[in-house]
Amino acid sequence: MSMDKRQFVARCNLEVHTLEVWLEQHWIVPEDTAAGPAFAEIDAARVQLIRDLREEMGVNDAGVDVILHLVDQLHGLRRALAAVQDSERESERR
Amino acid sequence: MPTPYEVLGVARTASAAEIRSAYRKLARKLHPDLNPGDKGAEEKFKEVASAYHLLNDPEQRRRFDAGEIDASGAEQAQRRYYRDYAASEPDGRYADASSFSDFTAEDGEFAEWLRRAQHAHANRRGADVSYRLSIDFVLSITGGTQRLTLADGSTLDVKIPPGLVDGQAIRLKGKGQPGHGTGAPGDALIRIEVLPDERFTRDGDDVRLELAISLVEAVQGGRARVPTPTGEVELSIPKGSNTGTTLRLKGKGAPVRGGGRGDELVTLKVVLPSAPDPELEKFVAGWSGGKAFNPREGRHA
Repeated sequence: MSMDKRQFVARCNLEVHTLEVWLEQHWIVPEDTAAGPAFAEIDAARVQLIRDLREEMGVNDAGVDVILHLVDQLHGLRRALAAVQDSERESERR
Repeated sequence: MPTPYEVLGVARTASAAEIRSAYRKLARKLHPDLNPGDKGAEEKFKEVASAYHLLNDPEQRRRFDAGEIDASGAEQAQRRYYRDYAASEPDGRYADASSFSDFTAEDGEFAEWLRRAQHAHANRRGADVSYRLSIDFVLSITGGTQRLTLADGSTLDVKIPPGLVDGQAIRLKGKGQPGHGTGAPGDALIRIEVLPDERFTRDGDDVRLELAISLVEAVQGGRARVPTPTGEVELSIPKGSNTGTTLRLKGKGAPVRGGGRGDELVTLKVVLPSAPDPELEKFVAGWSGGKAFNPREGRHA
């Protein structure tokens, strides 16, 4: 289920202006489609993470920037590790 | 169950600011998105968040302190974290491979292994998909095609090889989930259920059938049309046949792996006319040989 910008701010209960700033910072990167930016559940979950960082944990914007960068690297690494595991299993199957 | 104060590690007299500070400290350690591989982090974080939301609300805190409510009232709703999506993010908008690009850029065993794995992962084979398909008994013997509706609503004419048995699976190469990149699609695994037939039963490679015959056919012999999975055939009933006599129709059973076919075994069952027959009664009354014969002789004590 993809959402346009208007549906997305309604779904996340987010100010349009706040979303604009976050898009500017590349904290949220919607999918680029012919019909314009398309948002998905992963983006909504990311909005919630950013909120938790800022509101629940008292992290400032610079901190959010650093944390998101590291979290993205962590997931990149986890995917690479999962790929290694899959290909090991695949070669065991053969 | 620990109290919310114990969960946050603060005194019962802690100020709102102290509670907030203790919570933030714990949340920064325990937030599931900052511990993507730790399944237990979610439970711990939920406990801490529940404790905080109870104590952060002055009215709730007062009621808890007065013993009016317990800590369970502040249960946090189930939620899905970013990590739940990031693990299966299909297009990789966010995941960043730069943290290990030094490994893949270098020569060496680890770099080679990682590169190969990434390549294999990007081009991995699609998943297999399982289906169940019910077929008639006759089709299981003769083979043929049966239409199957796939998960996506499309249909597939499945070729049923002759001689299938109940529970056997057919693998259709490439009819599973599409592959990734240049990876081959997965297979469709179709488990066959053979529906029971009111006439035939399967006995290994043979097919069994019970055939009702009349008293006249039993005594005098005769010819009868008999169903087989491949169509009707004429069976000759020998003179003096009995209930339980089994006749063999060669090659009318299930196909045998490696060529040939099993047989159809026809078991006869003598059936008297359903309405009482005065003529038969009269005959039997005067049939001395029939009275002398005891079919149970020697069989029962």
